[in-house]
Amino acid sequence: MQRVAEMQEHPKASPVFGNGERANRLKSTRFGGKLVNDYWENLFAAKEQGKKIVWYNGTYIPPFFHAHDVAWVHGEAWSAMLSAKHREVTAQARGDQKGYDRELCSYARTHIGQLLIELDKIKAGTSDLAPDDPRIETLLKLPPPDMIINAYPYCSSGQQWDDITYRLFGKKVPMMTISIPLLWGGRPDAGYLRGEEWNERSRYVADQLIAMTRFMEEHTGRKFDFDRLSEVMGYVKKAAQLRLEAMELCTAQPSPASFFDWIVSIAPVNFLPGDQNIVTYFEGVLAECKERIARGEGAVKDEKYRLFFDGMMNWNKVGWLADKFAAVNACVVAGRYTHMSFWQEPELVDLKDPVLGMAQNYLICPNNHGAPIMIGEIERICDKFKIDGMVMHAARTCRGMTNSQFLIADSAKRHGRQTLFFEGDVADESFYKDELLNTRLEAMVEALDAKARAA
Amino acid sequence: MDEILATMAAVAADPLGYARQWKNETQGRVIGLFPMHFPGELAHAAGALPMILQEDDEPVTVGQAQVFNFYCGYNRSIIDQALRGEFEVLDAILFGDHCVQLLGTADVIRASVPKMPILFNQLCSILDADWAKAETTRTFSQLWKELEALIGQPIAAEQVQASIRLFNRNRALIRELYDLRRAGKIALTGRQMQDVVKSSMVMDREQHTRLLEKLVAGLERRPPPANAVRVFLSGHLCHAPKLAVLDLVEECGGVVVDDDLYHGFRFVFWDVAETGDPVEALADWYLLRSTKVPCPTRAVKGLDWEDYLLRSVAASGAQGLIVLMAKFCEPHMYFYPEIKDAFDRHGIPHLLVETEHEEMPMEALKTRVETFIEIAKRRLAA
Repeated sequence: MQRVAEMQEHPKASPVFGNGERANRLKSTRFGGKLVNDYWENLFAAKEQGKKIVWYNGTYIPPFFHAHDVAWVHGEAWSAMLSAKHREVTAQARGDQKGYDRELCSYARTHIGQLLIELDKIKAGTSDLAPDDPRIETLLKLPPPDMIINAYPYCSSGQQWDDITYRLFGKKVPMMTISIPLLWGGRPDAGYLRGEEWNERSRYVADQLIAMTRFMEEHTGRKFDFDRLSEVMGYVKKAAQLRLEAMELCTAQPSPASFFDWIVSIAPVNFLPGDQNIVTYFEGVLAECKERIARGEGAVKDEKYRLFFDGMMNWNKVGWLADKFAAVNACVVAGRYTHMSFWQEPELVDLKDPVLGMAQNYLICPNNHGAPIMIGEIERICDKFKIDGMVMHAARTCRGMTNSQFLIADSAKRHGRQTLFFEGDVADESFYKDELLNTRLEAMVEALDAKARAA
Repeated sequence: MDEILATMAAVAADPLGYARQWKNETQGRVIGLFPMHFPGELAHAAGALPMILQEDDEPVTVGQAQVFNFYCGYNRSIIDQALRGEFEVLDAILFGDHCVQLLGTADVIRASVPKMPILFNQLCSILDADWAKAETTRTFSQLWKELEALIGQPIAAEQVQASIRLFNRNRALIRELYDLRRAGKIALTGRQMQDVVKSSMVMDREQHTRLLEKLVAGLERRPPPANAVRVFLSGHLCHAPKLAVLDLVEECGGVVVDDDLYHGFRFVFWDVAETGDPVEALADWYLLRSTKVPCPTRAVKGLDWEDYLLRSVAASGAQGLIVLMAKFCEPHMYFYPEIKDAFDRHGIPHLLVETEHEEMPMEALKTRVETFIEIAKRRLAA
């Protein structure tokens, strides 16, 4: 969805690089742009509709909010959206002014910085912007929270982000933090979705999610409806199954869709409401992938190389990067962020009693396994999609996703895959150096050609 | 007393060298621990030498292959030491703290030193959660079980209680030094106090405690320089600030009277209950620590680091605060603006010093510290 927004605002932005070809994006993902816009519009109107507002960060817990009929603001999504619309700079500058170091998570700096701007205006009595101010559509209507919930797997920094948000609101907004601990995988029976640690941690997180429903009951005065949760999760599970089915089709050569299509398809399985719309979205994506395969049409013209993207997305550069890889006939087919997260194990969710399976999906976010199990899963995906090379995005302020990247690269090399690293960030464009990526991508392509000639 | 301080300084300067010597002499196990809130008592009760793994002074070289340069100096140094083979003396590593950079470091060590067991059970960082006690108790019980498997024999509760008593005694003696220093009765420098605490993280606790007993009893009672500006040091949540930085504070006319450094008061301020179930006691110790000295890595809604610092600065009679922030330490970066605002509001001089693993521009830093000391003096005179 972020790319959709970006492309709508900068339709002609593309790198001068390679053969000049651009990515052949899925047309069906445009529906996601509408869903995202509807989501924000509904959110902006939520207070007027008498709804309570939850600000949350971390994993994809909105089905709980949806089931309880409260509106939700995902801090990361907000920062990513500001970033994709190239409106993050003023927010980050306000954070700088307050004293937040620019090496801090740029999602957090953007989110907190914009919050500070809003608080400034409230204090100054100038919170009403002119109706034609371009920020009004995305920024000023954002309702303040009635509750704050934090549920971060792996990233310790994520918890501190909301600790600060809580303090900036004067400690007056009820806050709950859920612990989703790392699956270290050190016990003898450890493995993917198995072992004593897996079972213990699944129950631990599930119990906290139940506690979260009680927290919401306490602060809304309404009983939580678990039947409604099952209903919402029915849509989420169906959407997730369709997404995986469509992803599977990308084993075809040429691949009908790319990592960047899956990036813009995150919102429906991350923070959009769990209803028929997200099912419809992925039905459309699946159908288009099938049509493309039937036509032999790829996400990249004349696909020659198949790559895997590791690391957090650079939200300022989604469309830009999609075109850059297309310009050297490289299809980024899969990625850790897209393929190892967002309900990637939907069958774990029992719709009659969904909480445990939800907890388990939260536990297996793309970095919450110790490296051996995580890298095993990456290699399995790379084998399945016949990956030639790895693109490692070293997101400067996201240690959660840069951890283990050298180990991942080492493993890829052992499996005969080329690797390249490039520097960037999730929401701070200043860390991205385009020419370095150009040089490294050219070198990777040459190496892949040489390898092909030698074979 | 100089000899005792020299012994502690030597251990603090070469912790792994001490561990190798101890191992040669005792044939015992050496177990490495990671900061910040992880107890050494269980490993000690297992008959091992528990030592908190320290940043060293070597530049990061081979470690560059496994860690980005935008990680804190502690993590980069630990990875570098692992890849240089410095951890061969270790029989295992234990840890439980939730720091995202440290989790990555542990994985690199697991990959590069595959034969070394790394026992990790993530501690609950939400200390005021309803489930925090039960979860922390479960975590320490699991660790106990894994340690028993590591050493191949059971660890009796009485052994753990004996270790708790020894560790408490050690911490209490260091706290006596802190009390004496706050009261202006001794003139331990910042460097010396760091050596005392850092060596306690490494040395055999009985040996260290014996040295401390002599030190507390025999240290000359004399006040620090009368005209020095009294300074409180805060920060550095995992690794020791460079000694040269501590020296600089004193060279510029300051005297360190108190701190909340990990290699300082943060390490010794809180004891474990000596009676009752030791797992419960360790869990309580862990959960209550941050109610005494708040830590930005733990979520406790009712507590604020800056409030603690304001109280502590006042109680110690410090005339200014120097914040030592390890570059790329995210929790510290999040909470620093809160500290800065609070000290601005109260008109207390404060200085932020960002520290690095690599060489720091000491001359430039000297100018800043001198200016800070001058400001503090003028405020005092006003």
